[in-house]
Amino acid sequence: MFTHSIRRRLVIGSAALTATALALAGCGRSEDTPSGGSQATTTVSEGPATGNLTVWAMGTEGENLPKLMQQFQQANPGVKVTVTPIPWDAAHSKFTTAITAQSLPDAAMVGTTWMGEFADLGALDPTPQGFDNGGFYPGALDTTKVGDTQYGVPWYVETRLVYYRKDLAAKAGVTTPPTDWDGLKAMAKAMKEKAGAKYGINLQPGGTGSWQTVMPFAWSAGANLTTDDQKEFTFDTPEMQEGLKYYQSFFTEKLAGTDLPPNQTEAQFVSGQVPMFISGPWMAGSVAKLGGDAIKPNIGVFEIPKNKTSTSFVGGSNFVVFKTSKNKDSAWKLVKFLSDAKTQAAWFKMSSDLPAVKSAWQDPSIASDPLLPVFGKQLESAKAPPAVVNWEQVANAFDTEIEKMAKSGQSPADTAKATQTKASSIGTGS
Amino acid sequence: MRRTWWIYLIGVLGLVAVAAPFLWMVLGSFKTQGELLRVPPTWWPDNPTTQNYGDLFNKASFPRYFLNSTLVALVVTAGNLTFCSMIGYALAKLRFKGRDALFVLVLATLMIPGMVTFVPLFVLVTNAGLANSYPGLILPFLVSPFGVFLMRQFFSGLPDDLMDAGRVDGTSELGIFGRIMLPLTRPALATLGILTFLGSWNNFLWPLVIAQTEDKYTLPVALALYSTGQNAQNYGLLMAGAVVVVLPVLVMFLAFQRHVTKGIAITGLK
Repeated sequence: MFTHSIRRRLVIGSAALTATALALAGCGRSEDTPSGGSQATTTVSEGPATGNLTVWAMGTEGENLPKLMQQFQQANPGVKVTVTPIPWDAAHSKFTTAITAQSLPDAAMVGTTWMGEFADLGALDPTPQGFDNGGFYPGALDTTKVGDTQYGVPWYVETRLVYYRKDLAAKAGVTTPPTDWDGLKAMAKAMKEKAGAKYGINLQPGGTGSWQTVMPFAWSAGANLTTDDQKEFTFDTPEMQEGLKYYQSFFTEKLAGTDLPPNQTEAQFVSGQVPMFISGPWMAGSVAKLGGDAIKPNIGVFEIPKNKTSTSFVGGSNFVVFKTSKNKDSAWKLVKFLSDAKTQAAWFKMSSDLPAVKSAWQDPSIASDPLLPVFGKQLESAKAPPAVVNWEQVANAFDTEIEKMAKSGQSPADTAKATQTKASSIGTGS
Repeated sequence: MRRTWWIYLIGVLGLVAVAAPFLWMVLGSFKTQGELLRVPPTWWPDNPTTQNYGDLFNKASFPRYFLNSTLVALVVTAGNLTFCSMIGYALAKLRFKGRDALFVLVLATLMIPGMVTFVPLFVLVTNAGLANSYPGLILPFLVSPFGVFLMRQFFSGLPDDLMDAGRVDGTSELGIFGRIMLPLTRPALATLGILTFLGSWNNFLWPLVIAQTEDKYTLPVALALYSTGQNAQNYGLLMAGAVVVVLPVLVMFLAFQRHVTKGIAITGLK
């Protein structure tokens, strides 16, 4: 793992770089923001797109996008789109460096949690009139809004559900998936006691991204991450504590383990060691790849069980146009093409990315899938973290506190309080 | 023999610690994703497959990345060997005003971490119109302060008498540098060559940021792109890619390593 370790080091380094990039961008901006240079487009003109467009997209999206772009180019013969695929690992550094140097593409796929930061750097072009915003899932649409302004549109979405082994559930005597918190706890217990599982459910005991598994419970209990105006964090509330308490109870009752090796969720699911977990749509494929055809009919999913509501986490990516683009009108036409229901369905078939446009879910390829419609239902109410500049930093602090709670028994009240203290000192950044 | 058995033991332990992960990587590149994730892990591949290598060469335009990496690494290495030895020689052996101040300046730049100069450097190169070009990939790394420092120190250790002898025999100043002094620094050149080649070959962040289209990507960037997803990693492809990336470095090292040891013997001449 020679190059891998080197890459790791660079990834760590790139975090430092990002900080530098931000600091520098911050310095430069104070002098030249007043006029901002270029104005935002307000409407997209009629007629086909023309000229050259450069587009950045990450990972597999970047690999598959050229195929979709052929369709766009057929419909708009005067346009030429160049797609540059970017590795996920360092995409954030690449963007922040490019923003500093103003050497950006015309349009790009952007992670939902970066929106606040990029908008604050003044890099994004506000979304013009003429997009059917009501057609997107509301939680996904929220990720494009920074303050009162919308930047770009949701491109594809994902949300988190509870996965379970149908055969083992039957063995444990659970015939219908639970819908509330008590039901989920009882199911995990039955899996452990009757179906021979080591632990009932796989919950991440801290570490990067564990807040994404905690928040569905906290949101369902009525918690919010910030006040409505997104100026203050609200971690220390009774609702948040209730969510944390429920999460912790799985560990104290030994229904979830802190001693499992990481990145083995699929393997433990297939072996039946831990027959439930909470994750996104890509896991169905990963589990099937590992377990083969035998496991496929035994993969089941159900919505996040209800407390006050059933509210999961919505992730995915947005598509934005950059302010520095010299061909904004055509760039927005490209974005419009991407958010068309037909294109969204075609894109699902190429990439398995779930459409952000609700009507695209009626396409038979999605509607007839045994698992996907459940994701669609959960998406109706799923929530995203606030698009504030410092969210990634706050999320890191939250992950650390979650780890203390799951592994060393820090009380939910102290966890909420400690996270709030850290979050307040970091601030929302806006 | 009885007294030295522990030396062998330590040697063997060291060998295992160094070679085992490497071996794991090579063996892993012949496994399927399912087998790589299996618990308990397997050592030998159950059903050896060359699919990872197939994917690597078919899916990605791998020869292109390989060519880019090779071109950049070779030019950067050649540049460092040429310029660092010239500057090092001047700073060590030639007498001119402000020489020591210049050397202190070089040392000072050595202390600044690369991350601090990264963004300004990027802005500079972009404004010069070199984004997404080979010069943009190569130019910033043609000379390194570390290389200058290394060569200067090595030249300092060579006796002035050799230069004087050359002057007495009527050799030109360039001849003294090129034909008398430079050949004596072969071990330092070998070290510098290996380090520079390695550094350039493994460089990830700069090529990632400066390359704006896929045809300018180097191996580490392409490898990161194709093996690491948002939610899933293709470990098999990563291992296969790592094996291919490591091979030229191994060859390079074996080729230069001989000179390193040889050089140490020669410097006893003093």
